[in-house]
Amino acid sequence: MKKLLNSLLSLGVVASAALAANPAITAVKVSDSLDTIKADSALWSKAKFETVILYPQTSIEMNDKKANALVANAKGKKAQVAALHDGKNIAVMVKWADKTKDVEQCMVSDVYTDGFAVQFAGTTAKPQPLPYIGMGSAGRPVVVHLQKATAKVYEPNGNKDVSTQINRQQTGVFEKELADFDAKVASLAKTDYEKVFVAEGFRSTTEIKDNSVKSNGAMVHGPAGWSGTLSRPLKDEYVNLNGTVPVAIAVWDGSSMGRNGLKNLSSWVAINLEGQTPNAAMVAELTTDSKGNAAKGKEAAATNGCTGCHQMTAADAQSLLGPALKNVGGYATPAYLRESILKPSAVVVPGYNRNAHANTPWYNIEKGKRVSTMTDFSFLDKATVEDIVAYLKTLKSEVE
Amino acid sequence: MSKRQLAMVMDLNKCIGCQTCTVACKTQWTNRNGREYMYWNNVETYPGTGYPKNWMELGGGFDAAGDLQPGVIPNLEADYGVPWDYNYESIMTENADHNHFQPHVSPTWGPNWDEDQGAGAFPQDNYFFYLPRICNHCTNPGCLSACPRDAIFKREQDGVVLVDLDRCQGYRYCIAGCPYKKIYFNPKISKSEKCILCFPRIEQGLPPACAQQCVGRIRFVGFLDDEESQVYKLVHKYKVAIGLRPDYGTQPNVYYVPPTESPAKFDAEGRIIEGSTRLPIEELEKLFGPDVHHAIKTLKAEMKKRKETGVSELMDILIAYQHADMFRLDNHYYQEVAKEQKRTPLAPVDTRYIAGKFTKAGGHH
Repeated sequence: MKKLLNSLLSLGVVASAALAANPAITAVKVSDSLDTIKADSALWSKAKFETVILYPQTSIEMNDKKANALVANAKGKKAQVAALHDGKNIAVMVKWADKTKDVEQCMVSDVYTDGFAVQFAGTTAKPQPLPYIGMGSAGRPVVVHLQKATAKVYEPNGNKDVSTQINRQQTGVFEKELADFDAKVASLAKTDYEKVFVAEGFRSTTEIKDNSVKSNGAMVHGPAGWSGTLSRPLKDEYVNLNGTVPVAIAVWDGSSMGRNGLKNLSSWVAINLEGQTPNAAMVAELTTDSKGNAAKGKEAAATNGCTGCHQMTAADAQSLLGPALKNVGGYATPAYLRESILKPSAVVVPGYNRNAHANTPWYNIEKGKRVSTMTDFSFLDKATVEDIVAYLKTLKSEVE
Repeated sequence: MSKRQLAMVMDLNKCIGCQTCTVACKTQWTNRNGREYMYWNNVETYPGTGYPKNWMELGGGFDAAGDLQPGVIPNLEADYGVPWDYNYESIMTENADHNHFQPHVSPTWGPNWDEDQGAGAFPQDNYFFYLPRICNHCTNPGCLSACPRDAIFKREQDGVVLVDLDRCQGYRYCIAGCPYKKIYFNPKISKSEKCILCFPRIEQGLPPACAQQCVGRIRFVGFLDDEESQVYKLVHKYKVAIGLRPDYGTQPNVYYVPPTESPAKFDAEGRIIEGSTRLPIEELEKLFGPDVHHAIKTLKAEMKKRKETGVSELMDILIAYQHADMFRLDNHYYQEVAKEQKRTPLAPVDTRYIAGKFTKAGGHH
């Protein structure tokens, strides 16, 4: 009995370790071209899905009262992620549960849309640390593909009134009316909402409008939720993906007034391109846990005053100075956490936000550079830093 | 803060609630392309729910410590009102069916749903006044602070607050952040839009459409640093024009001359109660802060002076004799700014309002 219990316990440890770091995903090599692949393609039957956990973004509280109430107890979401590649393009499928289908509408002011995004690192020459998970950082650009849910619904008065629609079966009778209706839909209904952005840090996000990036995104809603697909070239002006491709995934829930920072996002996830040599260092970084002692790290965080400015388990802007760390273990890599402790000014999110109170700024501009008001903890010994990193990696919401 | 600030003054003693400004703005900017429900300029009855509904209770702005406050984004149908239309053809044709003239949706709310209701008991002490509102082009805009994309900016040359539609991604935090709820979401393009103080008109020597069309001539337009401008005189020299809800901390640049003239109350027998006034000073203090007392005192004193001596610069300004005096748009300044920005300076389409600190009247400088 004792033996069984022990093995069960060790199984439990293995399971929680598997939950803690996301597994590497293998992008299966296919011979068919992926540049126009959709969710219903038979090619996806070859793909190997892995579970990736997407945690609610709680670093910064936004200023939308209703939305904040809706996401106050947001949990992590499980997504099934798979990838394919054809040597020229990479395709990613993300499946996540969402009971409500929220699509773009024509006559609303406070209604939001489901959506998903896939973020690629712009430069991967130096695998550590990867760009900051929230839109990259200076000198470490990211390219983000965003797809929002749209549907061809003609609702000129905003009441979801589709009574003007005509039965498509009756083409013989309603040919002209159908043509008129299609013209109306084209002029009034929402069209595809797919955008590609380049960013070197929060606020710098800029839409790429010159068609220099090919993007093929789509979303399909079924009983289990959404399946989002995206394919893009492995190489273009902005990225050069080979070996191991780090991606980050975000999903938005329209019913929770999700948009922008009100989302669930993953940490960087490693996708190994089948047939190519993986980047072992990056795979190790993204798939293994910090070796530190989390319990010691918690003590070290308290004695070194981290909790003076950062909230560890709460996230309300009123009492914040630094970003809330409630879910930082869910979306930050150990390398990023290590860097932030040792070099607080390496990544500083710019601009005004509700955490940065007018009288207590979280950074100052010195010689044109943002200098964090956080103490430089490079005096800490390596083991303590690892312990704190291990502790920070435990900070994340429970998963639904 | 911008280098200069273009500002507007509205004299609430003279607003008759005719909505000509509203129509001028709507036909100029908001009757199309997803903006149909928006009123960049509206005139609401005060006390009343306002537009959008109960906007003063929807948060935004800053607290005393200067921290942005969370806010609520109004609902199109319940708080703004669906922009309904009528089947005019049903009464305009010969075979008209007069019984079926109706709105295309059954409206449940709209701007001015409670127009002219006001407060108090008729006929003893009922009261209301009209409150025309546009974007306040604040010195410390709540919308700008709330935007996580730096998509909202305040023009350096005149302080006009604009949305960069290229950067805007339709998150709508700006709507929550604006305590006046004067920035709107355009669902058709999924971006925010707002009053632009008619800058394309201003730059060509024309005042904003709302100001030029105002039949009550209640609106003055000019730069706050132009001591010759009537805006400067009303705001800084006489201090009779005050920003709306200064407690929101955004430092608004649309200023109001508070309503001083309200009829006396009636007693139970319908007789005038001498010395009484229907408009409670508390209401004005709520809208304009403690400075309203000084403003009212000055206005009353100048009115008395004008009656007794026939002379009062302030009363002459408020009479609003000439548009050319009410609007000082400093066209030469805009032309110089255009040259600096390597744009082609636009010739004024109207030379009556082009005077200003850097522009002599008559177009010479």
